[in-house]
Amino acid sequence: MLGWEYPPHISGGLGTACEGLTRALAKRGIEIDFVVPHLYGKEDAEHMRIFGASDSRSPIEIATRAPASIRSTETGRVPTRASVPVDPGSTESSETFRMISVPAMLKPYLDRATYEMLVAEGVGALPTDVVETLPEAEAVLEAIQEDAGSEADSGSLDPSPTPEGSREAHYGSDLFAEVARYANAATRRVRGRRYDLVHAHDWMTFPAGAEIAARAGAPLVTHVHSLEYDRAAEGADRDIVAVEHQGLELATRVVAVSYYTRGLIHQVHGTNLEKISVVHNGVYARETVQAYTRERDSKGPVVLFLGRVTFQKGPEYFVEAAARVLQQVPDATFVMAGSGDMLPRMKAMVENLGIEESFRFPGFVRGAELERTFSTADVYVMPSVSEPFGIAPLEAMSYDRPVVVSKQSGVSEVLRNALKVDFWDVDRMASQIVGLLELPELRHVIVERAREEIRHIHWDAAAEKLIPIYQSLLPN
Amino acid sequence: MPSVCFYFEVHQPYRLKPYGTMQVGRDHEYFDATLNAEVMRKVADKCYLPANEAMLRLIERSDGRFRISYAVTGVLIEQAKAYCPQVLDSFVRLANTGAVEFVAETYYHSLASLYDRDEYEAQIQLGMDLVRSEFGKVPRVFRNTELIYDDGIGHLISDLGFDAILCEGADDVLGWRSPNFVYRVPGRETRLLTKNYRLSDDIAFRFSNKGWAEYPLTANKFASWIHQHSGAGDVVNLFMDYETFGEHQWRETGIFEFLDHFPDTLLSHPHWDIATPSEVIDRYPALGDLSFGRTVSWADEARDISAWRGNEMQQRALREIYALGEDVKERNNSYLLDLWRKLQTSDHFYYMATKSASDAEVHDYFSPYEGPYDAFIHYMNVLKDLRRSVLHDEEKISA
Repeated sequence: MLGWEYPPHISGGLGTACEGLTRALAKRGIEIDFVVPHLYGKEDAEHMRIFGASDSRSPIEIATRAPASIRSTETGRVPTRASVPVDPGSTESSETFRMISVPAMLKPYLDRATYEMLVAEGVGALPTDVVETLPEAEAVLEAIQEDAGSEADSGSLDPSPTPEGSREAHYGSDLFAEVARYANAATRRVRGRRYDLVHAHDWMTFPAGAEIAARAGAPLVTHVHSLEYDRAAEGADRDIVAVEHQGLELATRVVAVSYYTRGLIHQVHGTNLEKISVVHNGVYARETVQAYTRERDSKGPVVLFLGRVTFQKGPEYFVEAAARVLQQVPDATFVMAGSGDMLPRMKAMVENLGIEESFRFPGFVRGAELERTFSTADVYVMPSVSEPFGIAPLEAMSYDRPVVVSKQSGVSEVLRNALKVDFWDVDRMASQIVGLLELPELRHVIVERAREEIRHIHWDAAAEKLIPIYQSLLPN
Repeated sequence: MPSVCFYFEVHQPYRLKPYGTMQVGRDHEYFDATLNAEVMRKVADKCYLPANEAMLRLIERSDGRFRISYAVTGVLIEQAKAYCPQVLDSFVRLANTGAVEFVAETYYHSLASLYDRDEYEAQIQLGMDLVRSEFGKVPRVFRNTELIYDDGIGHLISDLGFDAILCEGADDVLGWRSPNFVYRVPGRETRLLTKNYRLSDDIAFRFSNKGWAEYPLTANKFASWIHQHSGAGDVVNLFMDYETFGEHQWRETGIFEFLDHFPDTLLSHPHWDIATPSEVIDRYPALGDLSFGRTVSWADEARDISAWRGNEMQQRALREIYALGEDVKERNNSYLLDLWRKLQTSDHFYYMATKSASDAEVHDYFSPYEGPYDAFIHYMNVLKDLRRSVLHDEEKISA
């Protein structure tokens, strides 16, 4: 399985999704090698083997370890690791996986500020020793080169600054070179490994997935958590769209995180709907999560937005709704947690509306701060303009927070016990928020039932749907 | 000679529009006139008009041996007059056949029986007046909203002078007894007719269910099931929503063909006939007292009142609307009184139900909103406006 990030080092929902999914798959006897660009040493992945794509410290280890694969024990034809001429001892070692550090700036959906921070912290680029030719990966990336010629400002290797909202705002410079390097490094690990199936998460891993699948003679599943179109709409980067497109073309099967995304893939890429299966995301059961005792900074109720502050997440609708809520609930506080290219504009908007006293912008929160943020909120709002799935509302629900989600989100398809609203309908959104703040009965009923509900939307359900898809792609 | 007794509930609520917090204090029109008109016309086309026509034909064809009873709510008649007057005309034609009995119920199809006794009596009186003025009949038989019933309600209705009450034949209440006999309110002469819910629901809920072992339900099959009760009961009470015909069960399911054939098939058995509730109680003796230890209704699997006040939201909404009663009545303003009463219609609370699985499917089917939470928010916003703008602002009452 090819991924782009893994908890605790995550910038979005993708890493969380990969953790939940692989855990649930492993429970069902699927053996997984998981490759990310970089390991930080704190990844908790005892259920599988996790690798950094290109480790400079331990090249021999790298050669013996393989990326991205799935073995289905349920198909009855399990190529055992013993049959693979590599390092069988490693599976018996006390470490079930080894941390292999790979310098990589490849993180999904980076905004420029975060990227620059990473550069400043000295996280270098991937190694430059590209030693192999990768026909399949290059086929995927080829589309870029063609496009790059036709549009002056889309030169992917041009390190000069580009306007906000462009590719660099999302991903950092030299992105495609890094995608290529990742494909190369991951492919080198494949040598000597055999896999029944290759599963690649989102476009950054598609070239690697295509290459490895072709070499292994295995089916390729490309899993779409988010489309470039979701992230940028009209400002979508044509090269990224092209890579996405190639990956979808080469895939044996495409998995989408919602029907919403499935429809969008079909619409944007023309992929045959029959080729696209839907596997809704879930929340990994957090039985041990005990909501923090409420430590409030503010007297009144707290309404939370938590996510990247970008076009896709609809932060301005949150601000618009807040202004309306404050007419009814003047002592409410609104927290916009997260960073992103629209943050300065949101701050200006809040000032223009004269409601800065009621707003807090704590920036990107993680770890304990994340838990505290969820736990001290009275309502969580996800006003996304376009959200393939949206795990955050399920997370909020796992903290017993009532949630308001936009109807333009995949998660709204599976949730019963949430308030749903069109992202642009700020009057309705305000009404729902006020309702949740003023009517304790509403809050109680929603929270109590949501608690029950998320037990049924957990990752086991996702794995139960995915395994038959795997099986349908494997020979008997 | 046993009988089949048909009773049909005819009702449409005044649905609220999605009433957001931003409308409070600004918008005093609470009902969704467009939606209500649309629903009324749609149901008239699919059910009321064709079903009334079918009933009329059956009565004429059988020379009045086919007989039925209705309870028609005041809020339905108002909306029929406003949006689809031919519906009311066709009910009047039915009334004139002499084969149709009108059963009394609260004008507003409310839950006043559970909250406010004076208000309850007032709404029953309004319902009686309506039947008299529209159909020229004086009801002898009463049915409470959604067959909500317990001993307390039985005594109250008995005190009001009704001869019989329709109620649900809930298993736990009947115990070893059959629903197919006439019973008595304990200590009173008032009779109880208990719904045979198995046979009623075969038509109302299961008729078009392809997963049901008995699908498809033919008139012959259904009549034979009823004939099997020969000698083991006096009356089979088939009580259901009138919208079963053509609306809950679409025309395409064959429900009208079933309706057209059933009476002939049933009456082909020399011992069976069809009777209205009053005729049933006049003909058959009460077998004994039947005490309801709990409040029963015909809704959901639980056959209790949890469909309307099963969760905290519903309980609060109901508490608040009835708490306004005294304030409203003090204004002595008929517009305001009518508005308050329309907000008591049980459907508003039904939309707020949070039931699981099969019950939720039924609730969702009826709800104009996107689930119970929005229904509760809209309703509470309306109450807020009613309190703020109408009750405490004299000049707007006349608006």
